[in-house]
Amino acid sequence: MGTLRKLIYFTLLLIFVSLSYYNLSYGNKSFCLSCHQDESLKKQDSRGKIVSLYVSEEGFKASVHGKLSCNDCHSYIRDDKHAEGGEKRGNKTVYCGKCHKEAEKEYMQGLHSKIPKGAKERAAQCHDCHGKHNILSSKNPKSKTHTSNIDKTCNRCHSDIEFVREHALGSIIPGDEFKESVHGKSGEVTCVSCHGSHDLRSLIDPKSSIFRSNIPNTCGTCHPEITKQFVESIHGILAARGRTDAPTCTTCHGIHGIKAKVDPNSPVHEKRIALTTCPQCHAAERISREYRLTTKPVKSYYDSFHGLSYRGGDTYSANCASCHGIHDIRPSSDPKSMVHKNNLQKTCGSCHPGASENFAKGKIHAIASIRGEEFEEKVVGWVRNIYIVLIVVVIGGMLFFNFTDWLRKTIDRAH
Amino acid sequence: MVRKYLRMTLNERIQHLNLFINFTILVITGFALKYPEAFWVSPITNVPGGMTIRGFLHRLSGVAIVTLGIYHILYCTFTERGRGIIKDMIPRLKDLKDLWETLKNNLFINRPPKKIKMGRFNFREKFEYLGLIWGTIVMTVTGFILWFEVEWLRYFPKWTFEVARAIHFYEAILATLTIVVWHFYSVIFNPDVYPMNWAWVTGYISEHEMEHEHGLELEKIKAHEKGKVVELGESVVTQGGTKVYPLHPPKEEEKRGSIRRLYGIVQDLNETIKSWKGI
Repeated sequence: MGTLRKLIYFTLLLIFVSLSYYNLSYGNKSFCLSCHQDESLKKQDSRGKIVSLYVSEEGFKASVHGKLSCNDCHSYIRDDKHAEGGEKRGNKTVYCGKCHKEAEKEYMQGLHSKIPKGAKERAAQCHDCHGKHNILSSKNPKSKTHTSNIDKTCNRCHSDIEFVREHALGSIIPGDEFKESVHGKSGEVTCVSCHGSHDLRSLIDPKSSIFRSNIPNTCGTCHPEITKQFVESIHGILAARGRTDAPTCTTCHGIHGIKAKVDPNSPVHEKRIALTTCPQCHAAERISREYRLTTKPVKSYYDSFHGLSYRGGDTYSANCASCHGIHDIRPSSDPKSMVHKNNLQKTCGSCHPGASENFAKGKIHAIASIRGEEFEEKVVGWVRNIYIVLIVVVIGGMLFFNFTDWLRKTIDRAH
Repeated sequence: MVRKYLRMTLNERIQHLNLFINFTILVITGFALKYPEAFWVSPITNVPGGMTIRGFLHRLSGVAIVTLGIYHILYCTFTERGRGIIKDMIPRLKDLKDLWETLKNNLFINRPPKKIKMGRFNFREKFEYLGLIWGTIVMTVTGFILWFEVEWLRYFPKWTFEVARAIHFYEAILATLTIVVWHFYSVIFNPDVYPMNWAWVTGYISEHEMEHEHGLELEKIKAHEKGKVVELGESVVTQGGTKVYPLHPPKEEEKRGSIRRLYGIVQDLNETIKSWKGI
């Protein structure tokens, strides 16, 4: 045989082999689907759950990856051996980062890429949120990551009460809370708006969007004016310094279940603000002791005309925010504060037209006691004590006298 | 026919009814503010704007009682009967003695019990009437301070306002308890009058009650009927049902002058109410 013939044979062989290899190759969808089209094809995963191995051809073709071939993603699967079962039979992982480098980088910094203690897999992988063969663009309303579907996607794990307990993800089911919230109802705000998506981080990670000190900024992406006010307030300053007792947005407004302020269930509804929201800290022993505050303002407010009428449901009556402000609460020593002594006349005057300079003088949150600090507290304390003695003596005397009278007349009648 | 004695004229009964209604409204609407979570306040707090209505009613009834007080002053100044009431209402040493002897009777210290004859108004009634006047003045003054706080605080320091607030509250307790303990005993739970002294409705009390509570007054009336000249109020109903009028009716020339003219108005009103056949 001549060299030419050999070369021809070799070339033909090469072509044949490469053709046949191509036939067998996993770039050929129909070859993979010859097995994976079977809807009953199943396996047990590492957690022992039954996982369907069915791949819908139509779904895949309609997906954003529809033009790719199987082995573009399943790059480790080379032959039929993966079907023999068992973990060691071929590495079946799909590496999305090959194309999605940016997302992969973010994901690796995020919480879902971590492997929880005792687990074998990452907390959540790409396909847990994006799906597998039927991935659609997030702009597609049917996509798992479309704005309208994100809560369903996250709630697959985070509303599963067993799962939440098992992984200590918190005591509540955020999904249900969120659906009823003003954000949930808007349809525009989703889990990822606050938590982030690929780089979603832990509550305790200082880089996290939901880390205490970062909450005002996170909320500020949509509510910039309020955040601007808040960061200059005494609450904002303390929160920025990392005081865990200092309130941030969520302390007053709630977390997943934030309601509009006109909703009676909202903690910042005008009927609740002075009963539960401000007193949760300002009537709390632990916080008042730590910050050298007193719980007196709350107590004295409840006994004042404002507080009494408020407790009876009068929203016309002043509550905490009426005098102290809402997001821009400042200490009374701050000249910009609504309760600074130079501004008090104006603050009182907003409800009491014609309030004089004298109107705002004197201690507002006073508690009557004969051992009080201020003259006003003492004198009211004395008035109270004198009246109590008077009431006891006069009414007691009347009761005694009437009782003897009744007794005598009753005895006289019996005879 | 059981003899009855006129105790309250229709005018006085309407004054009493007015006081009764407005005092009750003031007590309810006032303590509703102080104890907003109490169970009996829920009808007020459950209504939208209930606390605002409460405040309005409280002020309205307050004004009504002040108006009644002013009317009562005019009544007591410009009517013969009114002046008689004031004259008979002045506390005397005898009232203290009556109280003391009553207590000794009640406690079986006086054996046998002393018969105590009391005048037109006994010590119980005098005490209560004076208490009512005192309470009305205190509540009116402090109430108006609280109502017109902007005006008050223009001239007075804030502690005076706080004192007024404290007094208004504690005086309210004192007044309410006085009514419940003292007045309700006198006119309801007192075994002599139980279930009720009906004078506030009918205007009359029985001879039995008259004898027990106003022995001296009874003697006075009986002496008058025997022919003795005794000063009377405007009119007294006698046994036969006819009215006996005072000996010296006010003369026309005495009614001159601005105060006398005012008297005329009050008396006309009084006559109109008296001759009203509505009830």
